Formats: sequence, structure tokens, C-alpha cells
Amino acid sequence: MSAALIAGVVASSIASGTSLLYATLGEIVGERAGIVNLGLEGILLVGAATGFAVTAQTGDPEVGLAAAALAGAAVNLIFAYLVVGRRANQLATGLCLMFFGSGLSALIGRPFVGTLITGLPRLHLPGLGAGAAARLASYDILVYLAAPTAVLIWWLLFRTRWGLVVRAVGENPAVAYAAGRRPASAQYQALALAGLLGGIAGAHLSLALTLTWAEGMTAGRGFIAIALVIFARWNPLWAMAGALLFGGAEALQLQLQAAGADVSPFLMNMIPYLLTFLVLILWGWNRQSAAPAALGRTWFGVE
Amino acid sequence: MARIPVLLAAWAALGLFAAGPAAAQDKPALTVGAIYVGSVNDYGYNRAMKDGLEEMKKAIPGLTLIAAENVPETAESERIMEGMIQQGARLIFATSFGHQQFAFNLAKTHPDVVFEHAGGWMQAANFGNFFGATQTAWYPMGVAAGKMTRSNTLGFVVGVPIGYAIGNVNAFEMGARSVNPQATTRVVVTGGWADKAKEAAAANALIDQGADVVTMHVDSPATIIQVVEQRQAYSIGFQSIEARQLAPNGWLTGLGFTWGPFMTATARSVIAGTFKPAMVRLGLGQGMMAVAPFGKAVPADVRELVTAAADRVAKGFNPFTGPVTDNTGAIRIKDGESWGGADMGKFDWYVDGVIGKAK
Repeated sequence: MSAALIAGVVASSIASGTSLLYATLGEIVGERAGIVNLGLEGILLVGAATGFAVTAQTGDPEVGLAAAALAGAAVNLIFAYLVVGRRANQLATGLCLMFFGSGLSALIGRPFVGTLITGLPRLHLPGLGAGAAARLASYDILVYLAAPTAVLIWWLLFRTRWGLVVRAVGENPAVAYAAGRRPASAQYQALALAGLLGGIAGAHLSLALTLTWAEGMTAGRGFIAIALVIFARWNPLWAMAGALLFGGAEALQLQLQAAGADVSPFLMNMIPYLLTFLVLILWGWNRQSAAPAALGRTWFGVE
Repeated sequence: MARIPVLLAAWAALGLFAAGPAAAQDKPALTVGAIYVGSVNDYGYNRAMKDGLEEMKKAIPGLTLIAAENVPETAESERIMEGMIQQGARLIFATSFGHQQFAFNLAKTHPDVVFEHAGGWMQAANFGNFFGATQTAWYPMGVAAGKMTRSNTLGFVVGVPIGYAIGNVNAFEMGARSVNPQATTRVVVTGGWADKAKEAAAANALIDQGADVVTMHVDSPATIIQVVEQRQAYSIGFQSIEARQLAPNGWLTGLGFTWGPFMTATARSVIAGTFKPAMVRLGLGQGMMAVAPFGKAVPADVRELVTAAADRVAKGFNPFTGPVTDNTGAIRIKDGESWGGADMGKFDWYVDGVIGKAK
């Protein structure tokens, strides 16, 4: 592999892995509190559309980013009300949320299709040369903050009292309740944070990577993030590796095509999904030990 | 009880008297319905359709246009078109490939309504279809790219490698080779017509691999053109000629659909009652395809070369005239043969000079 190819793959992996990482971190926080959110794709779409719409209106991508995060949190709180407050089935509600988010994002984004926006500014680090290598030193703020955010979420979950309560609720809400905690409150908080991160993930796609809004533009990245949670074994630090690996698979196949590799483009485009399959198969054997024990179960309170 | 039929008869008679003379006096104003698969602000395919319909509306006084955006390629489209017919539409433009069957269903139940479908093949007394002959029109785009490249590497992002898209790539490379024998075209397939993040990554990958002119065949060129502009490379647009606004520095030229003249002529024929269904495929110089204005980066001599190549294509020059070899060295179009029309969908190979696999 040439240096240009390697630099290009690394640069693109980081760029496309960033949005995946924020999405995966959000899902981890929610699942640590015992809630599976299959509607993550919808949250990403709402974030992407809201971020784009607000940026188009205000001309300020930072304001757009903040709006995207808040919109993600707001939509996820609707989900939280349904699955925690009303004790609805998490899987069915999650799928509904996906369709709801897809429709809502189309509504929000509709007037802004084709609008030209100034995206999140690129912060240039001095030093690196031209071409693919230069891309490694000129990312937007969300890329630079991605790894610190993962560490922050890990710290929140594993080194703070708040995180202890969230994890306790995810393992066994009855015990957490008996210990004087309110499971519902912890779950609402975790899902708000998850929505915030999901909104940011969507905004990275529309405000930094593409500078476009198009219906359904997340193209399944929300579902990939859910698979990455399993890959990461519900650990925010492992999520970094997962997002890079998947982002890398996509970047590699596109770079290989551009470099003229002698492989069918149809096969190339399957690589990231084949990889996801492989990871799920390899990790399958000890999934139970890593997953929060009460994941996906509805807690109806104590008798 | 007997009053109701009497009232109905009176109402019907009144209606006949009221409608009769008016219809005889005025030229009947036509209501046209149109459905788009996406948003008309996409700087791409749907924008081009909308521009054509607006041109038709301007050209024919008294014409009413009812349009619906984001109409999926499902039975939903049939309901939307049915609604337009209820509102009085007598001519319907179904502008996306997947709308074909649903428009055709309605054509059977509404013989008094004329349907025009973009890109398909079905025909009936009140059902015609139309599309631009894009492949040969890509040849002058290749000329522009071949003259402007410094690295002799051109990049082409393809959504789905269907025969027509491969034909576009082939004519592009042949145009580039005609002015620059060293020019090669690298192809990246994203696997969808509208996966924006992947399109951005594909454009970046091509530029990383040395491409300094990038073009595309996807629904909306907006994302790729903006990425290429950020990387300070040149771009060539496709679908709508308005995409040049996205790249003030790097825009070279582009290929766009100009549906206006065809749509106007069709509407006039429906008003006059002379509509005849046909499979219409028109290219450069025939009113359905146009070369977009040049960007400021393009010097006068290159503009002349591109314009001359476009004129040659308009006058009937066909780049797919044998011998044509593919990129493995095999002869695909023999000496003395030439490909045209329906052959354009049959490409499953790239011409010599294209770096990529078709299948």
C-alpha cells in the first residue's frame, strides 16, 4: 500500500468514524441504563436535519450543532416517556421512533434542501504536508472532541456516583430501587444524554462531512452504531476502536476502488456489513456476560 | 322523492349550457400534473425537471401546474397522480424511473389523460416516455477534464453502476483521451444514488489518489461538488446546470437536462389534441441536454475545444464507433460497428483508460 493510500484511509476513517462514535456512545449510555433504543437512526436524522436547518437560518454552525444536540435529546425524551413512563415495549417503540424521526427530519429539513451553508470550521494544525496527509491535520472540532468525549462518558459511567446508579439500574432496577435510588429518574437522565450524543452524531454528517441535508442521509449508520455497542461490550473506550474499525472499512473500500483494486465494486460496498456480521459472530459467545442484565426488560416496579 | 332527479336534471342542463359556449370560445386551458421523486432544490435531477416545467408554464399562457415533491416510487405515487387528475390535470409528467408502472396503471383507467414518463420504455395511446441521450453528451465533458488536469488523473463517482452510468464514464474518458492521451479516469461506486456521507468520502478518496478533476453520476451533485471545492480541485457537474453556484472556484463545466422545449411541445400537442406517444431520446443540440456555463478557471482555448466537441456530438458524432477496446484490452465494439440508442443500457465494461471494475 502506498503512503497516499494509507494516509487517505486513516484520514477518511477518522472523518466517517466520528459520527459513528458519538452515536455509539449515546446508545451505550442508554443501554447501560437498561434501555435498548432501536430508533437511534431516527435521532441521527433529526439531529442532521435540525442542525442543518438552524445553521441555514442563523448562519452559525455552532448554534446549529447546539440545536441538533437539544433536538436529539428532546426526541429521545419522548422515547423515554413511552418506555419508562408508560412502560411500552422497547423494541416496538424504538422502531416507531425510527420512523417518527425519519418523518420529522424530512419535515424539518424540507425547506432547506439545497441551501448553501458554511459548515463547522476546520481547525488546521500546523506541520503536516499536502495531499491526503494534510487532511489528517484539518478536521472540525467534533473530530478532535470525539476521543475526549468517549473518555468523559467512560468516566461518567464508571467513576462517578451518577454512573454507578445508571449501571445499577441497567443491571437490576429492583435492587437499585431497594438501595434508595429511583430507576425511572436515572433512565430519563441517561436517555437525555444519549439523545444529545445522537443529535451531535447526526449534525456531524450534515454540518461537517457533507454540508448537505437529504432525506434519509444517515443511510443506516444508526443501526451500525447499535451493532458497535455489542462490539464495544458496552464500554465507551472500546467504542472508539469499533467506530474506527467500521469507519476504516468504509474508507478502505472506497480508497481501494479509487486506487484501482481488482475487486468487484458490489463486493467492496459489502465489506463494512460483512465486518459487522463477523464481529457479531465472534463476540456472540460471551455477549451475556457483558450486556447489562436488565437490558431491554421493562421494570414494572416492586410489588 | 321525485324532486331529486328533477333537480339533478336541471343542474346537469344548466351545467351543459354554462360549459358549452365557454369551451367553444376559449382555447381550453390545460392543467398539468407533475411528480418528483425528491426535492426540487437538490441542484440535481429534480431541479432540472422543475426548471423544465416552469419553462413550459411560462411559454403557455393559462396553463396551470400542480406539482408534488418527494413522491416515493410506490403505490403512493398512483394515489397522488389520481388526486391531480381529480383536480383537472389532463397531462401528467411522472419524472422518476420507478413511477413508470403506477403512471401506466392510471393511463389505462384514464384514457382521456396523457402521461409522459422520464426514462422508461412503456407505451400506450396516451402514454409516452422521454429522456436525455446522456452518454454521447459526456464526451465534451471529458474534453474539458482532459485539458484541465495536471495530474492526468480524473475521478468519477458513480452511484450504482448500471449500463447507462458506465456509458457516461466511458464517453467521458474517450473525450479526455481525445485531447490528452495520458488521461485516466478512476471510478468509485458508492452503491446508492443518495448516500451523502459516502459520496463525500468517495470524492475525498479520488482526490487522495491523485485526481484533480472530479465528476459524478448521482442524484444530486451538491455534496461532491462542495467537497471537491474544499479540496481545491476541479469539478464537473451533472443533472442540473445550476450546480455551478456550489463551486465558485473549482467549477469547470457540467452537463444538464433541458426538458423545457420538449415539455412545452408536449403540452401544446395535448391542448391541440394531436398528442402521439413516442419513445423520445434527445441529446446535445436536440434540446434535451445542454453544456453548463464554464467556470472562471477555464481558459478560452479550452472553452473553444469543449464547445467544438459538443457541436460535433450535436451534429451526430458518436464516440462509440468501433474499434473500441475495454480496459482489459479486449475489443468490445468492432471496426465498422457503432453503439447507440438502446445499446447504452448494455455497458458492463469500461473503455481503455478507465481504472475500475464494472461488475
